[in-house]
Amino acid sequence: VSTAPAEMQQASTSEDARLDSPWITIVWNDPVNLMSYVTYVFQKVFGYPKVKAQKLMLDVHQKGRAVVSSGAREAMERDAEALHGYGLWATVSHDS
Amino acid sequence: MTGSGPDRFPAGDDDEVGRSDDAGGAGFSASGGAGPGDPGNGGDYGGDGDDFGGDDNDDFGDDDEDEDEDYDGEAPATFRPIPGGAACFFEPAQAGVIRSLVTQVAELISDSATSGLGAGDPPAGAGPAAGSGPAAGLPGDDRLADDRLADDTLPGAGGGPGSGEGTGDSADELEMLLGLSTNAELPDDPVLARLLPDAYSDDPEASAEFRRYTEESLRSSKINSAHAVLASLPAGGGDVVLSEPECQQWLRALNDVRLALGVRLGITDEDEDLTENLSVTDPRSAYIWVYQWLAYLQDSLIESLS
Repeated sequence: VSTAPAEMQQASTSEDARLDSPWITIVWNDPVNLMSYVTYVFQKVFGYPKVKAQKLMLDVHQKGRAVVSSGAREAMERDAEALHGYGLWATVSHDS
Repeated sequence: MTGSGPDRFPAGDDDEVGRSDDAGGAGFSASGGAGPGDPGNGGDYGGDGDDFGGDDNDDFGDDDEDEDEDYDGEAPATFRPIPGGAACFFEPAQAGVIRSLVTQVAELISDSATSGLGAGDPPAGAGPAAGSGPAAGLPGDDRLADDRLADDTLPGAGGGPGSGEGTGDSADELEMLLGLSTNAELPDDPVLARLLPDAYSDDPEASAEFRRYTEESLRSSKINSAHAVLASLPAGGGDVVLSEPECQQWLRALNDVRLALGVRLGITDEDEDLTENLSVTDPRSAYIWVYQWLAYLQDSLIESLS
């Protein structure tokens, strides 16, 4: 996935997460979720500053998807679960 | 993704991001009042709108009056920021619509949660007569009643893998206590599939495992949000004052309702002006009007929180 390499760096939460094979959380575009809502959710779930959240939101909107976090698989599943709780369409993948 | 109104984020126009003033007004126009084809519904939103919202809605609709001839003047409910949360005044009909939709989504989510246990024993109301059930959709729209959100079809009733395993035995009950789901499959109902999506796009086994461990809590969370809305929104309408945590639950519940409506209305193109080619006699018109109003309402709530 080459859409947002910068995002993958920051989201790794621990050294362990980096040592594990990298997993990523992807958010996919959908026609219903509001742009303002998606930005808000990225701020809320990941604690991203608004500018970063907006950039990610635009990536999703324009490119169809964006990598919103990376790290250990369990952490990515927690992220996906949180995003599903907000109604975003999120999946977990092995970054290969 | 979409803006809160069809005119806000035209294709390719990124400069609009972050703007939410004047959002959505135009979106209510083409089916404003839902038109003569929908007497049971349109009138509910009109009429009283002139005195609605007080001084918080002064800027609403100013830009739209000229271009939207069908717009008959009612202002949709919008949230306003207050210290520690947000507030909104709802007309009785507006409250009724939200309560109905939120209830339907919650019922859909909770009904289907038992599909693994009760697949052979459909609840009362299932079957051909389901359209006349108490959870029927918006008033005055018979044609869509059969296709309403609270589809009584039981996902899993078709005997998908896992749906009939160990029906009713104590292991299942224990799993439910532990918050594990007997459902491992993506739900058949497209609304449920959207609300409870697969977590792996290319690995059904991993998706099933994820679902087993997370779906019950996801369902509970969505149902809790729905209940929070119902608890804070009087059936007769009125001024609703929400704390910040309540705002969170409203946001989620409104979003779930919009996702559900989006699926049922077949919304696939975020840039489409839904009302452009819509006849006033189209049975979808009232729902599209509601769908767009909810976008506007949700956007105002987000704006109130930031």
